[in-house]
Amino acid sequence: MSGIRAWQINASRAAAIFVLTVVACSAAVRGIAADETTAEEQAFAAAVDRVASSVVQIETTGGREQVEGLLLGTGPTTGLVVDPQGYIISSAFNFIGNPASILVRLPSGKRMAARLVATDHARMLVLLKVDVDRPLPVCEVAPRNQMRVGQWAIAVGRTFAGDRPNMAVGILSALDRISGRAIQTDAAVSPNNYGGPLVDIQGRVMGVLVPLSAQPGGQIAGMELYDSGIGFAIPAEDLQRVLPRLKKGEDLHPGLAGVSIQGANQFTAPPIVAACRAKSPAALAGIKPGDRIVELGGRPISRAIQVRDELGRCYAGDKLSVVVLRGKQRIASDLALVEKLEPHQHGFLGVLPMRSETDEGVAVRYVYPGSPAAAAGVAAGDVLVSLAGESIHDRLELMQTIGMSEPGAEIALEVRRSGALRKLKATLVATPEELPPVDLPAAHENVKSHAVERPAVGAVRLKIPEHNNKVWSYVPTGYDPEIPYGVLVWLHPPGGYEWEELLARWKPLCDKHDLILVAPKSTTQSRWMPEEAMLVDRLLMQVGMTYNVDPARIVVHGYEGGGAMAFLTAFRNRQMIRAVAAVEAVPVGSAPDNDPQFRFSVYLASAEKSPSARSVRQAVASLRKKKIPVVTKGLGETPRYLSDEELSELVRWIDMLDRM
Amino acid sequence: MKPKIENRRLIVPRMRSAFCVLRWSALVALTSLGLCGATAFAASPLAATVDQVQPKIVKIFGAGGVRGMENYQSGILISSEGHILTAFSHVLDTDYIDAVLADGRKFDAKLLGADPRLDVAVLKIQATGLPAFDLSKAGSAEAGARILCFSNIFEVAMGDEQATVQRGTVAVRTRLEARRGVFDTPYHGPVYVLDVTTNNPGAPGGALVSARGQLLGMLGKELRNSLNNTWLNYAVPIGELRQSVEEIEAGRFVARRDAPAEKKPEHSITLAALGVVLVPDMLERTPPFVDRVQPGSPAAKAGLRADDLVLLCGDRLVQSCKALGAELELIDYEDPVKLTVLRDQQLIELTLQPVTPSPSNKKGQL
Repeated sequence: MSGIRAWQINASRAAAIFVLTVVACSAAVRGIAADETTAEEQAFAAAVDRVASSVVQIETTGGREQVEGLLLGTGPTTGLVVDPQGYIISSAFNFIGNPASILVRLPSGKRMAARLVATDHARMLVLLKVDVDRPLPVCEVAPRNQMRVGQWAIAVGRTFAGDRPNMAVGILSALDRISGRAIQTDAAVSPNNYGGPLVDIQGRVMGVLVPLSAQPGGQIAGMELYDSGIGFAIPAEDLQRVLPRLKKGEDLHPGLAGVSIQGANQFTAPPIVAACRAKSPAALAGIKPGDRIVELGGRPISRAIQVRDELGRCYAGDKLSVVVLRGKQRIASDLALVEKLEPHQHGFLGVLPMRSETDEGVAVRYVYPGSPAAAAGVAAGDVLVSLAGESIHDRLELMQTIGMSEPGAEIALEVRRSGALRKLKATLVATPEELPPVDLPAAHENVKSHAVERPAVGAVRLKIPEHNNKVWSYVPTGYDPEIPYGVLVWLHPPGGYEWEELLARWKPLCDKHDLILVAPKSTTQSRWMPEEAMLVDRLLMQVGMTYNVDPARIVVHGYEGGGAMAFLTAFRNRQMIRAVAAVEAVPVGSAPDNDPQFRFSVYLASAEKSPSARSVRQAVASLRKKKIPVVTKGLGETPRYLSDEELSELVRWIDMLDRM
Repeated sequence: MKPKIENRRLIVPRMRSAFCVLRWSALVALTSLGLCGATAFAASPLAATVDQVQPKIVKIFGAGGVRGMENYQSGILISSEGHILTAFSHVLDTDYIDAVLADGRKFDAKLLGADPRLDVAVLKIQATGLPAFDLSKAGSAEAGARILCFSNIFEVAMGDEQATVQRGTVAVRTRLEARRGVFDTPYHGPVYVLDVTTNNPGAPGGALVSARGQLLGMLGKELRNSLNNTWLNYAVPIGELRQSVEEIEAGRFVARRDAPAEKKPEHSITLAALGVVLVPDMLERTPPFVDRVQPGSPAAKAGLRADDLVLLCGDRLVQSCKALGAELELIDYEDPVKLTVLRDQQLIELTLQPVTPSPSNKKGQL
């Protein structure tokens, strides 16, 4: 025991001696270093002093108390004087509650009423105005081309009691963040300084602090990053550029061009245009699918992501010069960017494709009577070989290409019929909204698969690890991996379902129309919870990995509450879900615009005396306004589920979702 | 020993960010030690400072450990005889407080006394010859000063492991305001607000020192700023604590009376007495718009009108009907009331002169 104690004392004495030695030895070096520290501290304080008289406190009264589930603080918040005549810039975050009154408190302590002049929705800034009797001091701006990552960056706010601004010290972490809109710092950025300046060591304003998020989010995006070491500021030079527009009271919005780029990986894909929305700035500039963008705003472009970034810097109303390469030809024009795009409408030729592989082109399964294809003389059994001079490789690609053109567009086709090649022209129309005829020819010949192993078929239990839901599925017993299968997710009405009953009803339909049925049960018997939309995504992914799934025929079907849930699920996952078939249900939330890349169709069945009849009519109108094709089915007087006959009609509609 | 992750944070991602900061800080701590121990130990001035401060930092363990209440915090040696300065918290609500010194020695600590008004406590361990800070030599700092924070944040350090060191800057010297529960703490006085995330379990009682190693303050308890829903990273200046600490050490501490809180008069003025009717108070924060003004009332005489929005009472911002009511409670029924209202984007200052009731009336009120 005493031994241990002695050791401890010795150890601590040794430590003490060691500390003394360290202090002594380092004294000379520390002298210099301490001076450095002092110089740095003085520089920080001086930098803040240089901007302090332009950093104001803002107090607000009234307005909403919660936005997107976040309880808003009452402030105070910070603003930066940007014009001696009383213009003050601040973060839009500070005004999302739409306050009834705004008070600006100058560094002198004087309070003045302010009004909101304009909002920059692309950069989340607001411009305020106070009436001044003498000019307010403004700060010097740091030139953008002198900013270097690694240099000091001091975030300044004015939110605490007393007459001093608050500061946070860090470095400039990155330039050109969030599609080129922001610079980044590791100084602590939070509601304590949103709206205040980010200054360099000389006290020049580099930017205005705002919460931003790299992911698309609502008005509060970026708030979750507060004090995390990731903070953003809008460069002061960019701000100066748009200040005249904001002063005129013009609200600024992100500028849209209406161009989609091919390829899943935007970081590696070349900037080749996949589609232009009709009447969009890109279409008006004469840009066509297949063009390769080589220059935007005078800057060279080589990858898809650069297109997003260049557009990210621009506002609606801006003109952006563009150069594209079409073949070997360089074509220059201007994009007049807009705030809103017209929804896309898929052009329709009037054919259903065969789903079995062919050596050349895509074989025609069915021609819609009275369609452009019928008028041009296309018949079932023909093979579509080329479109607009480009040879056709597969069904999905052809669907995509035809759909990129809008109704009214003329297309040139090459068709092979019993060996002979014919050239045809057709003018596309809108996708018809009628229910399909009773008898459709088969979508494939009887393929005999050579596959040795087959995944489980018949009634199969599915399990997603993070979800407790019970899930049944049915895969046609004659499943053939050479054939693409549609997927139908059934979302039951309140009260759940009986698997045996459901299976008896669906088995013949699934077998006949190459359809996989997936039927999850909600965790609570009474209703679906919005979080369970994620379950559907996961189920679709799991089924897609196990079976040969036709991406053109993935449908979510629901009755009553299950129908509403089907809409919710589909609106969230436009990439995968191609259609919703809802019975006695209305969409939850607002439908997104029809998208050229992700087709979407709706089947809505309801009764005249349904309590939601009115909402159904409104929903149909609203979906059609967004150019989404909607098929409606009357169920007579009283609300009910589909009869056997109606159900087979619905399944035929699903069978026709790869129409083009 | 893993840091406990308590489900007490409302904003979860921030927890993660705190951990990032921590990991980084731990790295600083290790690097500093490495530098001191072996090679060019004086290359970094911070390394020398860290080495001088670490022996004076104490890891404290006590009550808690359940339901989001940590059983650990930090302390500062302030005498060679084992006096430890720490935060007055639930951790000290036990007869068994452990103090673990930087060299790993563990002592039973006795609570010598506490000043709840300052959230400060002094512990005593039986030891001599300890390295310690001298409170009389503590310094002060202004915004922009480079600082180091020493604490056992998230209980990362055990035994002879050194406390976590975090680097930052004084953001501002300000006061924690007592008004309307902005900060849920009995302490309403000067603080250093810091630009480094210290507001986390284990930090309370830790040391705030200057880059040169001078003690500046004690890291405060976890505190949320209810005005903007952020966590406040702060330390209480030693100058504010010194007198209480010395009295506790000397065994003659008498709990002082609370700072003179805002005193309510015996009879407060009311909106009714002024002739003001506000819009119905429907929300948590209904803006105090004037609905009606009684003819001939003090409000009418002062020129208050319907639809005016009351912004200031005296020089205090009132953001709701409730807040205006609370402000009026502080004003004597006979005193003039200064209101600033917003009317057509103009700030208008009005003074409402209450009608002094005759003595008989006054009696009637009682």
